[in-house]
Amino acid sequence: MKILQNSNFRALSKIAEMKPEEIIEIIKKSGLSGRGGANFPTGLKLEFTRNSQGEKYVIANADEGEPGTFKDKLILEKNPNNIIEGMIIAGHAIGSNKGYLYLRGEYSYLKNKLQQVINNAKKISDKLKIYFDIEIISGAGAYVCGDETAIIESIEGKRGNPRIKPPFPANKGLFNNPTLINNVETLANIPLIILDKNWNNNLRLFSLSGNVTKPGVYELELGTSLKELIELGKPENKIKAVYFGCADGCIPYEDIKLDYEAIKEKGAMLGSCAIIAVDEKQDIVDVTTNIAKFFEYESCGKCTPCREGTMRILELLEKISLKKAAKKDLELLEELCRVISATSLCGLGQSSTVHLTTALRYFKKEFRDKLK
Amino acid sequence: MKITINSKEIECQSDKTILEVAKENNIEIPTLCYQEGFEARAVCRICMVEIDNKLLPSCSTKVKDGMIINTESKKVLEARKINTELLMSKHKKAYFGESKEHELFKIAKDVGIRQVRFNNNKKVYIVDKGIAIITDNNKCILCGRCVQACQMQNVSAIDFAYRSYHTKVTPAYENKLDDSVCVNCGQCLLACPVNAIYEKDDTKDVLKVLKSKKHVIVQTAPSVRASLGEEFDLPAGTLVTGKMVSSLRKLGFKKVFDTQFGADLTIMEEAAELIERLKENKNLPMITSCCPGWIKYIEHFYPELLNHVSTCKSPHDMFGAIAKSYYKDKYKINKKDLVVVSIMPCTAKKFEIQRKEMKKEVDYVLTTRELARLIKIKKIKFNNLADGDFDSALGLSSGAGTIFGASGGVMEAALRTAYETVTGKKLEMLEFNQIRGMSDFKEGSIVINGKTINFAVVNGLGNAREVLEQIKNKKCKYDFIEVMACPGGCIAGGGQPIPTNKEIVQKRMQALYLNDKNNTIRRSHENPAIINLYKEFLGRPLSKKSHKLLHTSYIKRGT
Repeated sequence: MKILQNSNFRALSKIAEMKPEEIIEIIKKSGLSGRGGANFPTGLKLEFTRNSQGEKYVIANADEGEPGTFKDKLILEKNPNNIIEGMIIAGHAIGSNKGYLYLRGEYSYLKNKLQQVINNAKKISDKLKIYFDIEIISGAGAYVCGDETAIIESIEGKRGNPRIKPPFPANKGLFNNPTLINNVETLANIPLIILDKNWNNNLRLFSLSGNVTKPGVYELELGTSLKELIELGKPENKIKAVYFGCADGCIPYEDIKLDYEAIKEKGAMLGSCAIIAVDEKQDIVDVTTNIAKFFEYESCGKCTPCREGTMRILELLEKISLKKAAKKDLELLEELCRVISATSLCGLGQSSTVHLTTALRYFKKEFRDKLK
Repeated sequence: MKITINSKEIECQSDKTILEVAKENNIEIPTLCYQEGFEARAVCRICMVEIDNKLLPSCSTKVKDGMIINTESKKVLEARKINTELLMSKHKKAYFGESKEHELFKIAKDVGIRQVRFNNNKKVYIVDKGIAIITDNNKCILCGRCVQACQMQNVSAIDFAYRSYHTKVTPAYENKLDDSVCVNCGQCLLACPVNAIYEKDDTKDVLKVLKSKKHVIVQTAPSVRASLGEEFDLPAGTLVTGKMVSSLRKLGFKKVFDTQFGADLTIMEEAAELIERLKENKNLPMITSCCPGWIKYIEHFYPELLNHVSTCKSPHDMFGAIAKSYYKDKYKINKKDLVVVSIMPCTAKKFEIQRKEMKKEVDYVLTTRELARLIKIKKIKFNNLADGDFDSALGLSSGAGTIFGASGGVMEAALRTAYETVTGKKLEMLEFNQIRGMSDFKEGSIVINGKTINFAVVNGLGNAREVLEQIKNKKCKYDFIEVMACPGGCIAGGGQPIPTNKEIVQKRMQALYLNDKNNTIRRSHENPAIINLYKEFLGRPLSKKSHKLLHTSYIKRGT
């Protein structure tokens, strides 16, 4: 896999002579965009943060919590060097000398190894007169702490709850100072982009799981057909649907291009490139209920629609599963979906119903068949 | 700049939120978690408005030039209804006899909810029954207003715990409120829109004791007369002293006395204590001790500075001590038969009378709201009552006692007496305007016999911390400091009618100062009843008897 090529601090030596603006320009030109799921242009984010006033921070979001996503884990395990190098380069570009690596609680077994990489990087960057400290902060297992503002609250020692945006972290982030937050995969790309002018920015790490016999991380280009990816996973049965993680919805299995636009047209999102295959032996209502359980459990509890709504959604889905629900329950379910996605405070709440809206759009019959 | 709300063009300033602009233009947007003077948390999602097909919270979204806002679109109404319904299903619909409008019920009515389509809340909580404050998580809708109020007080006894629908507001480690650093100020209770926090109700016990053969007397705090009327739909700031006295008589109290008598007594002792400390240059600055919320605060957070606090008991406890000694002997009442009830604007007073230092001098404390409840239970037509007068002896008071109810009042009253007793001269100007008003920090100075005395008045515990830090770091320039826990003083106490907001508090304050101005006696040391009490019973301020009855000690609690 290309993303696992160890840049070995060669990119750091290269940028030591560069002006920060030049680094930002290279990243902008490369077209690198956020790999956490939002796909926001990284170069712009760097520029916004650079242009903000105050002491600045870099945060690496290693709180990979989206169900079905495990590509960051692979990079953290196999090529942590690039992540750390990417952080230092980003820090240098925006004018920051302090970074935090926010590590998912379940990944704490990687902490020692990452600390060694950080110590080693510190020696090398100091020699290059690039002064940058990195601290590892362990998450405690909350899904919501993958949200950038919840990470900030958590690092500040507060309850891991999202903040109201705006202000955005680029203006007011950690300790109310300008903060750059990037996903692990995004950061790992930075040194490779610096070293290779022709770096292929269309490569993505697809986490494939579900009803396949060969689940795992596959590095493919954007625009690859879904069929090609699923076949790599060698499914035993006919695939009925695919879910894009849990937050980004589902589509019926068909030969569709894996790119952001094509999937958006279908009402789902490619997000962090997590593909969960569901075969025809599965009951979509069961799958949906299972996902609803996840969102109910992981709601941070701050805002009304997410806290109360996800619980009521689960309640209604369980009612449907038990064949006790009537048509009006299904209508209430749809109403809840609309309001939760439109009024939740943070992205996680807003996207907590996409799986259900898309399931109801494509597999409504399975729900209807269970009404009393 | 210009924005459009519901097709109406509106000129507005750029640094405002949509909600603020809407309010200024009489466009109603319902809110629940929002409270004026605090940072918007934007969590209830009731105040959503539609902009560019998107729903945004109006409480935290700033206006932008050319913004087109719809506050009543189909989307908005659907969202408002569902979110209200979700909160209704969380709120246990048991109703406690409160005086205020229930904000959630009001919104539910306005959005047209006739039936909640969700089951009742899944979680059942044990109600935390504290000495002064009761918290019922079964009713809590997690708006966070109480948490903000507690943070403003710099106490932070409560915060959120757990996540998802298991989220709850609780003291640390899920301790009981009484085992936490809570000072019982009751600001959380005033902030709560759904009565999930309320005072411990003592009306039943008082009704019971009134029915018995005991000699039950009552005293009323200064600020109650300026707020009680609100419970009977009179405008804020209406003084109802006479009607209040009559209603208490109707309720069956043997004697109706005034805590202002106790306040005058406090001033005699406290002014003497100040003069002594100034003479000896010891334990300065001296800090007032009338406010039980403040006392518990310093016991928790700055116990090392307790020597600065005046040893005077609070006015109603001084009254209680005198009632159970002087009054009891004078009227030959059996000790067992005498019951003292205090009508207070305060929840912390319920805690105060249970302190062991206070030796049960006061038996019951009722808040302003509880008194109103009693009057309503007994079907007394409050507004039709004729004005009554306090009973003599312990019912006579000065204007100095009246202003105890407003922040700055204790200081002003003490200065009137301290100045005149030390110099032997009359103050030309009795009003100390620099320490009146709603500001949370006020200061001034006065020259007494050639010595300049610097004083400061602080209200709100958040502000008290700053002064305490100054003392701790030996950078405090003041000789005498008044601290009241509630913002504005007792007129904004946790036992006062709901709503209690800045505007209302200001009106209550004006009423008290007017009352002082109209009083013929305006100095505590000129109150004939006080002069008589010292002559007949106490001797002089700080006498041995005074010390035994009117002074107290404090304990170090820590955090």
